[in-house]
Amino acid sequence: MNAPRPVAVNMLGVVEHPALGGTPYRVDADGRPYLPVGDGGLVLGVRLGDPVAVLAGDHVAPGACLVHPDPAARHALVCYGCVGNPAEVRTGRAAGARGVVLGKRGEDGRLITGFRQEDLARMRPGDQVTVRASGQGWPPPGVPPGLVVLNAAPGLLAALPVSWPGHGPMTVGVRMTLPSKLAGNGVGRPAAAWDLDLQLGPGDAGPPGAGGPAGAGGPPGAGGAAIGGPGLLLGDLVAVADLDARQNMGFRRGWLTVGVVVHGASPLPGHGPGLTPLFTGPAPVLTAVPDAAGHRGLTESGLGLQ
Amino acid sequence: MNVTTNAAALVRQTLTGEVWPPLGDRHVYRTGPDGQAFALPGMGGMTLGVHCGDPATGYASDHLEPGASVRHRDPGANMALQFLTCVGNEVRVDSGPAAGAVGHVIGQHAYVLVDFTGPAAEQVTTGDAVTVTAVGQGLALTDHPVIVVKNCAPGLLAAMPGGTRPDGRLEVHVAARVPAEAVGAGAGMVSEYANTDLMGAYPGLGADLSLGLEGLRVGDIVAVADADHRFGRGYRPGFLTIGVISTGQCMLFGHGPGPSSLMSGPATAFALIDDPDANLSAWLHDEAEVTR
Repeated sequence: MNAPRPVAVNMLGVVEHPALGGTPYRVDADGRPYLPVGDGGLVLGVRLGDPVAVLAGDHVAPGACLVHPDPAARHALVCYGCVGNPAEVRTGRAAGARGVVLGKRGEDGRLITGFRQEDLARMRPGDQVTVRASGQGWPPPGVPPGLVVLNAAPGLLAALPVSWPGHGPMTVGVRMTLPSKLAGNGVGRPAAAWDLDLQLGPGDAGPPGAGGPAGAGGPPGAGGAAIGGPGLLLGDLVAVADLDARQNMGFRRGWLTVGVVVHGASPLPGHGPGLTPLFTGPAPVLTAVPDAAGHRGLTESGLGLQ
Repeated sequence: MNVTTNAAALVRQTLTGEVWPPLGDRHVYRTGPDGQAFALPGMGGMTLGVHCGDPATGYASDHLEPGASVRHRDPGANMALQFLTCVGNEVRVDSGPAAGAVGHVIGQHAYVLVDFTGPAAEQVTTGDAVTVTAVGQGLALTDHPVIVVKNCAPGLLAAMPGGTRPDGRLEVHVAARVPAEAVGAGAGMVSEYANTDLMGAYPGLGADLSLGLEGLRVGDIVAVADADHRFGRGYRPGFLTIGVISTGQCMLFGHGPGPSSLMSGPATAFALIDDPDANLSAWLHDEAEVTR
């Protein structure tokens, strides 16, 4: 039997406008109110490679979040859109600008797309963007049997630090491997349409002494701007141990899930930098190789965004 | 519980709701841990035969909600009902053949969950009107300012064993201790709404899924390690959350029996006593109610 080919679907996304309720405040882990800045919509000046710890906002994503006014179409846009899929602005002053899907966010659903900064500066909420969605559900060649690839455009593996010699496990270079107890919002939700928030405190996962204002051992969400784990960059690959993300994400001993960090931290308890899952499998087919200092994950140059 | 509170300052409010139907869609199936397609009852409606003290798992069910599942028809009023109703609050059936039957709130799960133990429960069905006497939000422990109490009726707190110890810690009796790895869907949500699904409680499925929680019972008081539920629900080393198991068996992956949050604070503020009798069934229903 011939291997199945991926299909591509042109989908319409609309650049999101941020939305707030009548009371603008949210409440952080210590009960302090804060204004959620950068939570969705069009964010300027934030790029792959930026440290998540310096983003003074809530779930800040690098570029434009795409949505659709129809909730079901919005879910489909988010589910079928894959990291590495091309996007093109169709309306407005930036019409014709080309970008790429960087990741996704769950709940109501947002597809995160990256564009060159000069193009983002000309875009505005409401602009229409075409996403050439391809890759979801397609088993790419060149990976071990039993390894599940998801949310990845055909060809994405070539832009990532992965290797498979044709036997044994596929190895993936990551910034860090985290225990499953740090998996927050996103557990129990479908990995094809949600990200997984990593509950990193200011003292977690960074070099010694690099804790934020709340100090090492402080709560996720505390400490104002310096939240979300120093040392972690947007675009990093991160592994989560004992997590099975084939369908819903959940605890399974001996499994590993690797994803790409697609948005910054959040003061909300149970939230944090978001991981769009890319690979999941048992230990015999997937190995993560952490490199705290030298890791390079998803980059603008790897995606042709520069 | 032998503890000083501000219970005298709390306000009681009369709220209404109705037993809400189970909801489905035309695609029917959802997905289990191993990719199993399933269609199982459990959420919504009036679920019979499972009460506080009964095993939480071991049923052909998904998101088992014992007893009546209650919402309000107006979205804003519904959120008020979900936020203001507390575990232990009294609920009266006001329409249908079971009118007059009295039960108690055992938790929230995007529905207010009501356990009726008497025979009248068999007559309760979708659409029946209920009245909730809501009291408990704002409850505070005078001598334990670092512990935040949520979703807990003052009457329930008074009936629970434990209390302030000479060393200043709050003694709480728990039927089970839950590791942080078990926390599934519900992380990141507010702690006055729905509950925290616990993974690792899938009896009959693989050992690689187990976290040793298959013995939980509905109504069990549990302690969740490294969980801060004071202002939402998140992982936080050194904190502890006391909850009550208000939902049972799940087949949906990443979900499971769930505690509704009752108290949260630094672990050092608590003295936990392992007590298999720490279950709502010991405190909620008096004899007259059970036979009604």
